[in-house]
Amino acid sequence: MTIIDISPWRLAAGYILLAIPLGIILWLRLPMLGQAISAIVRMTLQLLFVGFYLQFVFDLNNIWVTGAWVIIMIGVADVSIVRGCRLRMSRLGGGLFIALLAGTIVPLLIFVVVLQGKAGLNVQYVIPVCGMILGNCLRADIIGIRNFYESLRKNEKAYLLSLSQGASLKEALHPFVRDACQAALAPTVASIATIGLVSLPGMMTGVILGGGNPMTAIKYQIAIMIAIFTGTALTVILAIRLTSLKNFTTQGTLDRGFFEAG
Amino acid sequence: MQIPAIEIDKLTITIAGQTIFSGLSLSLFPKQKTTLVGRSGCGKSTLLQSLLGFVAPKSGAIRIFGRELSSQSVWQLRTRMAYVAQEPEMGAGNVRDILARPFAFRNNLHLRRNMDRVPDLLQRLYLPGTLLDKDVSALSGGEKQRVALIAALLLEREILLLDEASSALDQSAKHAVIDLLRSNEALTVLSVSHDQEWIGFSDSHFDLCKAQQEAAA
Repeated sequence: MTIIDISPWRLAAGYILLAIPLGIILWLRLPMLGQAISAIVRMTLQLLFVGFYLQFVFDLNNIWVTGAWVIIMIGVADVSIVRGCRLRMSRLGGGLFIALLAGTIVPLLIFVVVLQGKAGLNVQYVIPVCGMILGNCLRADIIGIRNFYESLRKNEKAYLLSLSQGASLKEALHPFVRDACQAALAPTVASIATIGLVSLPGMMTGVILGGGNPMTAIKYQIAIMIAIFTGTALTVILAIRLTSLKNFTTQGTLDRGFFEAG
Repeated sequence: MQIPAIEIDKLTITIAGQTIFSGLSLSLFPKQKTTLVGRSGCGKSTLLQSLLGFVAPKSGAIRIFGRELSSQSVWQLRTRMAYVAQEPEMGAGNVRDILARPFAFRNNLHLRRNMDRVPDLLQRLYLPGTLLDKDVSALSGGEKQRVALIAALLLEREILLLDEASSALDQSAKHAVIDLLRSNEALTVLSVSHDQEWIGFSDSHFDLCKAQQEAAA
């Protein structure tokens, strides 16, 4: 059983379906018609670009080209987290890149090598698995980093009190690290607990569409959930620890220079 | 010659390009209880914060028991001081947890048994024992100030820094705090206050604004 390709003409015909949501927007006069059309155009162009590029990466199936693609994906994730948190790239970017790299590569290697042997390093497995882990690391890092620094800024007096009571930097930051990690990991834990009940998860859908049977699909899904949980936990703790090295003065106070104005 | 507990030597502090004070000198000897006075805005709170290393001086020096405050020494010197902020924010949790929290820090592990002194201190400051199970966010301003003072005293530091520590206290609570500090003879206290009764309790007072004007003249 292999997947049926969609011809360009049939896909173009699929766009006719858009008449329904766009019709509803027009009928209710929702002020989002331009935004919706622009989003559809962007989606099409972005996916076309990624499709062509991935086709190229897949055709080569070279571990170095695949590795370069993974690094680019991590770089893009890095920039979007810093923008998402409204913090300064120069202060955050480096530590965050290492955190994302570790959070993605460690579970990825365990996933592809331990579960599938050397064949798992094929581009067919590495790119989708990496994309899924990285996407979750990105979400977890945004929640974790934002929670950590915002909470510190809001509760600075309590933090300074800990320092005045003789806490080391690590001890004074501990409650903030703990709360940020909890906030970042909560969505992953919730999605693990409800998986399969609320919606069919992405990995499983992919395997079924690719012609795999449902039992193979759930094995992949279990493995990817373990990889995602591992990756998000690793990336959040590293992101907080590594970025905090650069954002505190030698006396332990929060260096406000890394918040963008406002 | 006795080494001052706190020695401030020609200290200048600038925050966001604005000079808070410049060329300030002040010495406090062990056991001395001094109150910083002067109108609002002349840098009294900033001075206390600079002693804890929370505000970096532009020039001059701070010495605690003869040791110069630097980014290396500040971590050790903080274990010789305790600080009570004007509006103490002590984090989340009940009073018992808030009081016990500093004893989880490595520097204070050896003082853990001091928690046994809590009932006595609560009583001396007219606070009920049931307060220990109350959430800190539910405390009144006066209760919060006294809990913060108890937390500071439990750490048995040699120097106590108090920023308007009596501002939310009623008469009887204020007298209880004064009596408690007076009974602790070995303690060096540097406080900030506008309260005449509080100023009267201290051995001396230091007008920061006047000192600035004299330095400028």
